[in-house]
Amino acid sequence: MNEKTELKIIGKPVPRHDAWEKAFGLTTYADDFSIPGMLVGKVLRSQYPSAKIISIDTSRSERLHGVKAVLTAKDVPRNETVTRFGQTHTMGGGFEGLYRVLADKKVHFMGEAVALVAAETEEIAKTALDLIKVDYQPLPGVFDPIEAMKPDAPQVEEGKSNIITHYEVVKGNIEEGFSEADVIVENTYRVPFVDHAYLEPESGVAWIDENGVITIRVSTQVIEHFRGIADILNLPHNRVRVIGTYVGGGFGGKEDITVETFLALLTFKTGRPVKLAYTREESILCHSKRHPYVMVYKTGAKKDGRLTALQAKLVSDAGAYVYLSPWVLLYSMVDAAGPYQIPHVKVDGYTVLTNNTFTSANRGFGAPQVCFAYESQMGELARRLKIDPLQIRKINYLEKGEALATGQVLEHHVALKETTDKASQGLGEKSSATENKKIGQGIASGMTSYGRMVFLHDTSRSYVSVELDGSVTIRTGIQDIGGGQASSLCQIVAEILGVPLGDIKIYIGDTALTPLAGTTTATRQLYMSGNATLMAAQEVRKTLLKKAGEMMRIDPERLDLVDREVVDTEGSGKSLSLIEVVKACASDGLPLYHVALFKAPFRNLTEYERIEGQVFPDFTFGTHAAEVAVDEETGKVEVLKLISSFDVGRAINPLSAVGQLEGGAIYGMGYGLTEEMIIEKGVILTPSLSEYLLPTSMDVPDVETILIESGDGVGPFGAKGVGEPSVCSVAPAIANAVCDAIGVRIFDLPLTPEKIVKAIKEKKEVR
Amino acid sequence: MKLIKTYTLEININGEWKKAEVSPDETLLYTLREKLGHTEVKEGCGKGDCGACAVLLDGKAVNACLTLALQAHKQKVITLKGIGTPENPHPLQESFVRHGAIQCGFCTAGMIVSAKALLDENARPTREEIKKAISGNLCRCTGYKKIIDAIEEASQKLRRTMNDKR
Amino acid sequence: MEYFSPRTLNETLILMKKWKGKAELVAGGTNVIPDMRARAIKPQALIDISNLKNLSYIKEERKRIRIGGLTTVSELACSKVIQHYVPILSEASNQLGNPLVRNRATIAGNLADASPAADTAVPLLALEAEVLTNQRRVPIDQFFIGPNKTILKKDEIIKEIIFSKPNSNPKMGYFKLGLRNSMAISVVSVAILMEMQEKGCKKARIGLGAVAPTPIRAYRTEEMLVGKEITSELIEACSNEIAKEVQPMTDIRGSAEYRREMASVLLKRLIRKNIERK
Repeated sequence: MNEKTELKIIGKPVPRHDAWEKAFGLTTYADDFSIPGMLVGKVLRSQYPSAKIISIDTSRSERLHGVKAVLTAKDVPRNETVTRFGQTHTMGGGFEGLYRVLADKKVHFMGEAVALVAAETEEIAKTALDLIKVDYQPLPGVFDPIEAMKPDAPQVEEGKSNIITHYEVVKGNIEEGFSEADVIVENTYRVPFVDHAYLEPESGVAWIDENGVITIRVSTQVIEHFRGIADILNLPHNRVRVIGTYVGGGFGGKEDITVETFLALLTFKTGRPVKLAYTREESILCHSKRHPYVMVYKTGAKKDGRLTALQAKLVSDAGAYVYLSPWVLLYSMVDAAGPYQIPHVKVDGYTVLTNNTFTSANRGFGAPQVCFAYESQMGELARRLKIDPLQIRKINYLEKGEALATGQVLEHHVALKETTDKASQGLGEKSSATENKKIGQGIASGMTSYGRMVFLHDTSRSYVSVELDGSVTIRTGIQDIGGGQASSLCQIVAEILGVPLGDIKIYIGDTALTPLAGTTTATRQLYMSGNATLMAAQEVRKTLLKKAGEMMRIDPERLDLVDREVVDTEGSGKSLSLIEVVKACASDGLPLYHVALFKAPFRNLTEYERIEGQVFPDFTFGTHAAEVAVDEETGKVEVLKLISSFDVGRAINPLSAVGQLEGGAIYGMGYGLTEEMIIEKGVILTPSLSEYLLPTSMDVPDVETILIESGDGVGPFGAKGVGEPSVCSVAPAIANAVCDAIGVRIFDLPLTPEKIVKAIKEKKEVR
Repeated sequence: MKLIKTYTLEININGEWKKAEVSPDETLLYTLREKLGHTEVKEGCGKGDCGACAVLLDGKAVNACLTLALQAHKQKVITLKGIGTPENPHPLQESFVRHGAIQCGFCTAGMIVSAKALLDENARPTREEIKKAISGNLCRCTGYKKIIDAIEEASQKLRRTMNDKR
Repeated sequence: MEYFSPRTLNETLILMKKWKGKAELVAGGTNVIPDMRARAIKPQALIDISNLKNLSYIKEERKRIRIGGLTTVSELACSKVIQHYVPILSEASNQLGNPLVRNRATIAGNLADASPAADTAVPLLALEAEVLTNQRRVPIDQFFIGPNKTILKKDEIIKEIIFSKPNSNPKMGYFKLGLRNSMAISVVSVAILMEMQEKGCKKARIGLGAVAPTPIRAYRTEEMLVGKEITSELIEACSNEIAKEVQPMTDIRGSAEYRREMASVLLKRLIRKNIERK
């Protein structure tokens, strides 16, 4: 297809097909589904963050009328599995992830699952939980990752060091770098546990189908967990089927196994369908959190603002289980120096087990944490050197063709300068201050990867077929978590096959029936499954146009598919209906379908500790600008303006792209101002949405979004991924704005009113 | 096993009278979802912190999770499905879709109910008034902007329709 | 568990007496239902008083305003009478919870729940309201005795809240400091009512929430304001005094220190905003 051809539907803000059914309340989310004879499952959870389990007495529970199963660790065929990471590739590498279904001899965090019940009704299931008697012997725990690194700290997992992994990034000579600096800024930054707080708590229904296949219909970002579920049951992989529902929000919190294994076990043991739905309190208690980090940053620069050196030490709290902590840290390592050209860099990162709630993926995956640090550092340097914040960034920004500190060359467009200009233009002049309020403006730029790490050998598959009547079917294992993952694929197919969107049906998320497309994580689906779908559609198109060419006696190169017709683009006026061509292909035994496999670049990691070379396929670059009004006496922050400018490569659907930027901006604003999962000695003190504060409609500014479309992404039509990048630089933009307003910087998130009042006071005392 | 005493609830949902056997502490949310097939009413938190379960009870927007089923006895409840259907969509539903105000969709039912309650009372809401009306409905995906835009547009559409009818 | 839906107050009282505190009254349900969910209460019966329609009213008399216990917080927020005479009450009502909760929550329920941060209690304290139960009349500053504890007996129900219309040139103000702009439990909330005379005020009443085990009055600070010119020195002195009068605690929303300081800040602002300085 001619690149200069105007695109018909790509780039148009068309309504998503799933939006209509959601508007009418027709979508069957995981908890909306029921099967006759269904049991209700419930989970008994640990009362202590660290304790020995002396005994578990389930006898009374089992005897309760209506209870069909009471399971503990001994009832799980394979209670422990060890992952060497990567859903698609087995790796060694000095760290392993232990997945334990039910606590066995010890509990490692408060809320860890200890037992499962299935009963006829919810009432009976709740009573059954109460009747299980667990005898705990509380043990000392460790709740601070820096403490946990010490040799005498209690071991979270017996026989294993609390330090899961250490990475380093080295470029140049750090001492030399600092010796060349005219100014050095050194600070310690802290960011807290945070919850995904998707509106839909985790839930699912499982049953055994007529072929003996354990079928789990569940709200998940990853249907590929069917393998891990089969492993814990000691079943072959093809005896477990995961059907993914439309997810009511994921953000990384439904990336790991949540309810699936519990459901599989309960249905396996009872032979009956089972539903398991978490309450909100339970969801907060037991699902993964974003990693808290302690980040010690030392940045050196010349008088004119050019960076000479950056040294960082990162320590993240992995909580009680490894999960994705090493990967999250790896992302942080690659992003730690920020999108800047720095001749000398040294980063050391550690991720450490504690008896806190386990931490894992959360939108940004290690990037937001370091972005807060490196963009605050840039803010500090700008202040110290009295250089304009835009200027100091622009003279240091990386450009296309240059390399990160890890050595990865940026092969695609780097839109930092444009997005910074546009974001700050959007900000405009400072609003005038009102009584008690100080106005401040701040910017922050971010670089966030899209696509998974290249040594995971990521792939995606998509099947596109044309029915005999010209309607179109797509089948792909993609999961849709609200970002329009499914509908973008429909738009791509509509473009390539020239059919109206309404003629396309897409089937997603079924390990038995849809080609596997990989995880809906890492901002990878548009890139990976978009490309796979594009490839599949192009193959089908090729077949159709070749046949049409024969029928019309025209060179297929001249033909296009438009509006259910094959047309001659060179104006002969000849055309053929799509259906005629389809029928001709069918009659000739030509395939009217194609399954395409798209591969991300594959690389092999030779060294696991020092990170070098290409880690990610590509990055999305953008800038946030914020204006805040800070009440000096109460410390309350009002965000007056929030501008988000990103290079999205190509906006397949501008409504979706803008939606991600607006939503991501508020997700990041919550991180900056109000959200903190307070965990003290392993106990969550913010157990519900009354205590854990998400931004409400009355807290948000009207986010202004400015899209840049460089066309230079590696996704279909040059698209880049934007789901996670849209979050990372928001909190530091707000932090820089607050600093501008009050004249003093706060080094930890969230920027609560109390912290602001304290900082203002301390600044006055210094004077 | 102790039997829980149940009571017969008579309730009008979206224009239809229905009956269910409910226990005293059963919430309207539970009854709607588990006994009357109205799974369009969502549970996000179960205690009034998120608004996902908003329904109109006698015309007022309330959290179904904070209402006992029996407190809705002989009363009229309207859920998202009573506001509009594929055959007869409400301007709010159309605006939500056209504006991209629906991402994961889990907050949508409650949002549209709150918006409907607003527009029933105030045909010309300002943006501030819209923000206030939905300030009991959390959204984690959209950042609220497109939702507010959609409600604004729907209110304009409704006013035009009203004017056309005159 | 059993359920009752009495039609009259009498029926209600009979039920309450019969169940001797093992039954829970439910009106709006916005506290009772979450408490049951958290298993903080385990009633054997629910007495649903939401159908006692004659307990829901806002009556303006010549000198007083009487509010039926089952009046919803929404009704308080929207009432023209309340907005006109005692806007501190409509403002506080407008910031309680969120619109969905306000449509169900009742004034009696808010008071009976007796959270130290109870939103309607704060202006009602400044208004020196009285709580009328089926047994007695209790001044509101004697109504709360501890966190979630009131003087209500097991067979006692709130019928009405009464207060006098403020007279002679009243100035009043309310401020709620929360960590977000909706669905926020107060970090500190303050209401002030001053009845002015030629020089300064002849009566001052200050109610505060979330700075003590119960919503409180600041008696000493009030006294300081009476009969004097409201100068910036006086305002400063009052804000220092109120910091000593409050007994806040530290919780996840704020430290005791911060709350103490905010009580001062908010009081200062409210006085300045509402009163002219000389």
